Amino acid sequence: MAGEKLNLDILQKDVAYSGEGISVKSLEENIHEERSVQNVKVEELKVLRERNVEIQQSLAEEVGKLRKFSDYLDGTATKGGFWAGVKEALSHLPGLKNIAISQRSIEELLKQQYQISARRVKDAAEYVDTLKQSEQDLYREIDRINEKIVESATNEATAADHVLELKQLIDQIDAEIQTVEAGSVDARDLEAKQDKARAQLAMHSANLQLYSAAEDRYASLKNNTRKLVETIRNLGQDIGQYTTAASIKLDMASAQIQAIGTAADASVVMLELKKSLDVMTESMNQTTQFVSETQVFFRKNLDNLLQELDTFDENTTKVLDENLEFSKQIEDARIEKAVQKAIENRAKRGDAAESPAEG
Amino acid sequence: MSANLVALHTQHLLEPVSSTYLGLLSRCVRVARLNKTFPERRQLEGTLRALHADAHHGLYDGIYLDSRSGLPNMASFTRPLADKGVGEDALVGYEDQASLDAKRDQAEVFARLASKRRYYELLQKSALAPVDEHRVLLRRHEPASSRASFRVELTKLDGSGAYLRVVIELTQTASVWSHKLVDLDTHGEVASGTEALRGMVYRFASYDAETLFIRLHELEGVHVERVQRGILGPVRFAIPFEAGVATVLESKADATDEAWSAARAAHAQDTLMLASFATDVAALDVREEKSNDPFHPLLSEGIRDVERARYVTLRERHPFRVYKDRKFVVSPSLVDGVKRACASAGCKNLVYSLR
Repeated sequence: MAGEKLNLDILQKDVAYSGEGISVKSLEENIHEERSVQNVKVEELKVLRERNVEIQQSLAEEVGKLRKFSDYLDGTATKGGFWAGVKEALSHLPGLKNIAISQRSIEELLKQQYQISARRVKDAAEYVDTLKQSEQDLYREIDRINEKIVESATNEATAADHVLELKQLIDQIDAEIQTVEAGSVDARDLEAKQDKARAQLAMHSANLQLYSAAEDRYASLKNNTRKLVETIRNLGQDIGQYTTAASIKLDMASAQIQAIGTAADASVVMLELKKSLDVMTESMNQTTQFVSETQVFFRKNLDNLLQELDTFDENTTKVLDENLEFSKQIEDARIEKAVQKAIENRAKRGDAAESPAEG
Repeated sequence: MSANLVALHTQHLLEPVSSTYLGLLSRCVRVARLNKTFPERRQLEGTLRALHADAHHGLYDGIYLDSRSGLPNMASFTRPLADKGVGEDALVGYEDQASLDAKRDQAEVFARLASKRRYYELLQKSALAPVDEHRVLLRRHEPASSRASFRVELTKLDGSGAYLRVVIELTQTASVWSHKLVDLDTHGEVASGTEALRGMVYRFASYDAETLFIRLHELEGVHVERVQRGILGPVRFAIPFEAGVATVLESKADATDEAWSAARAAHAQDTLMLASFATDVAALDVREEKSNDPFHPLLSEGIRDVERARYVTLRERHPFRVYKDRKFVVSPSLVDGVKRACASAGCKNLVYSLR
């Protein structure tokens, strides 16, 4: 009987790929799914950027009021005399517009200003946890992508091994066909087995290409996710530092304002008042500085990141398109390419196995 | 150190001592049976509860106290108020409690968010003590005689570190409404204080009821019937902890000094508390002019001879009387000593035991 030496068990072999199986469509869907997590985070950052602008504006206004008030109390910024200056400065504080200075308590106004400032700093601090939460979400996303990468790499190796086995079998069948009479029953039987082997080769070589492409695409996705994590982590650390400093300064300012107490309404304690204002201004300055710096950070980084993500989008689509195009190409050429890849893959693994110390 | 002076008249009380202190102060406020003369008890208890570690679950390491009055200072009063506002917005974006609790061990931020969610939820349901609050209530409106009576209320965290409430009952006539102490709405039903009234009451809130009575009563067309002040504090405490005993660092000397020192000496390892709650009323219906407050005699008793004649003339113009009182809530070991101190000052005060 012809072909007795052939290892035809290969054709019956159950090739176990881990995961849910792969196709061009399923790969596209999976990548899209993973990308949507990134998109959500980028959207969150966009919202944060807008909120940042709002906070910066309100903080800048408050710092302006405090600084102006402080300057007037210092007697350095008014031409119309001390009280004229104070009156004008007070008109910038909450609820004091168009109200004569003698009618409102400076102590009360300062306490109100303190409460507004405390709220602003707490608003900014709340972002730290929002960002840290996003950071953790993205770390989990990276873990998930890593699992996909490992899975794809494993499946790629499995496919490569099987492709080589099938290629070898097809070559052996070819050789065997040469030894039997053309058109004979044996020849037909061998040809039938070879067709089976070719069909399986086509399927597994396609898998080899898809798993290889998946590995690369997931790796790109991971790189961008890492960039997002870094952006968020840096921003969170910056906000954390500034708001902690601002919060401490505000606590100290509150002590001075409270200690000044009712005496704050008397001109004799204006020096003390100025001192408390300076502390408060310093605190607000710290917060404003953070907002200002993160603003620049956002402008520089978020836009770049978005651009890169857009590019990534284009690249992904391009790769997927190429893949679709590729799948339409002539079967033999594709198989040849897959086999070549499998050989290289095996060679690489062989190298790695021979030089474990380098790993 | 559990208590450090960190800024002017400010001490930082660290956990767990701060929560022990807050628990004691809450109990004092309850035991004192505060009436409407004082700042609202429910709000005050809400704030003290919100400052407690059981509420914020370790989000803060302690509280700031006024080192003279022994009460939470403005930063501490403001903290839950600001957190309540921040929390109202933040809760919208938070995951539900069960999800956050389930993720507690995944990362520190989830544990904190789980705690914050509980804390913010509690704050949304809590009535909190305001740092300052003005209210003007219309008591009676007589359009025919162009008269209206008002009740003005101010709750204030005072510059001395005390938390107080000032209530003024006054009547105004239409002819002088141009002064605009109080505005009525077009229906004559809802009153609101003008900035002038707000400012005046606010600035005078720290002075005796008598001073504020005279100041307001001297305004043309304004007839003051009653000025009353309810003041929380000062508070003294001694809370032993690993590294020593936390106390109020800048307590002002008063009539209870001796009793306090004796109790500290005899009960060095015990937690001690001495809280007092004062009232100061200047009103037309007070029968007898007297101070039953061992910390504060009547203004007339402390006035210098050169000013006495002017003071007497002023008082003759205004037929009100003054009554000052103070009640105490103290640890059991302080009850007898504080009673004796009050008696020595010629006063007979309520002294509740904090059991």
